[in-house]
Amino acid sequence: MELVVTEYVHCDLIEINGRIDSYSAPQIETVLNALMVDNHYNIIVNLEDVIFLSSSGILTFVNAQRKLKQQNKGEIVFVNVPELVFGSFELAGFHVVFKFFDDITTAVSRF
Amino acid sequence: METKTFPANYKNLAVISKFIVVQAEDAGFSKSDVYAIQTAVDEACSNIIDHAYGGEDIGEIKIKVNESEDKIQIVLIDRGEPFVPEDIPEPDITSPLEIRKERGLGIFFMRKLMDEVIFNFSQSQGNTLTLVKFKGS
Repeated sequence: MELVVTEYVHCDLIEINGRIDSYSAPQIETVLNALMVDNHYNIIVNLEDVIFLSSSGILTFVNAQRKLKQQNKGEIVFVNVPELVFGSFELAGFHVVFKFFDDITTAVSRF
Repeated sequence: METKTFPANYKNLAVISKFIVVQAEDAGFSKSDVYAIQTAVDEACSNIIDHAYGGEDIGEIKIKVNESEDKIQIVLIDRGEPFVPEDIPEPDITSPLEIRKERGLGIFFMRKLMDEVIFNFSQSQGNTLTLVKFKGS
């Protein structure tokens, strides 16, 4: 898995490439925690190039989203989610916990 | 039948996935079924590392794949602690984020994505998990 963070004026974009599983999820958790520590609470995650997402990957995002909601600060939203990957969010019932957008521009404009 | 043994660590999840995807594609499963099978096996292996062995590089996972005309059968064997699926409650996927408990999502995925999920434990064999998916199911 590879991960690139780009800082925008009102939000941050995390672009992830490859597999999100029990091996790579902790790296994402570290990045999400670092953003929140730096008071960056509006986070867009681009999953366009993600080829696999396991439950541990989903839970990494869910736990971060829970922290943000509890503090009433910002949120994580997703863009360009492949159909099969979205299916896993749906299967776990977590598709209702996040907003999903078709492109980065639309997501950025929401913050 | 194809059999392979992998050291039980998270880095190998990608290697195991590749092995399973090739087998499922060769067996003629659709793209979404291949993804479902890949997910079920990844969840099973993660559970073995987390719960049966209680950490990485404690033991191995042996995987036997058996394809037939109408189905694929994947058997995962480990020598970790006995796994009792009844001890893991099914997650309530409709409960609100604030109170939702996350344990058991891996098994939930396996049960939703595969047609048969059978856990067995014996002193001589260890944990044996049999996953079956029928074509077009």
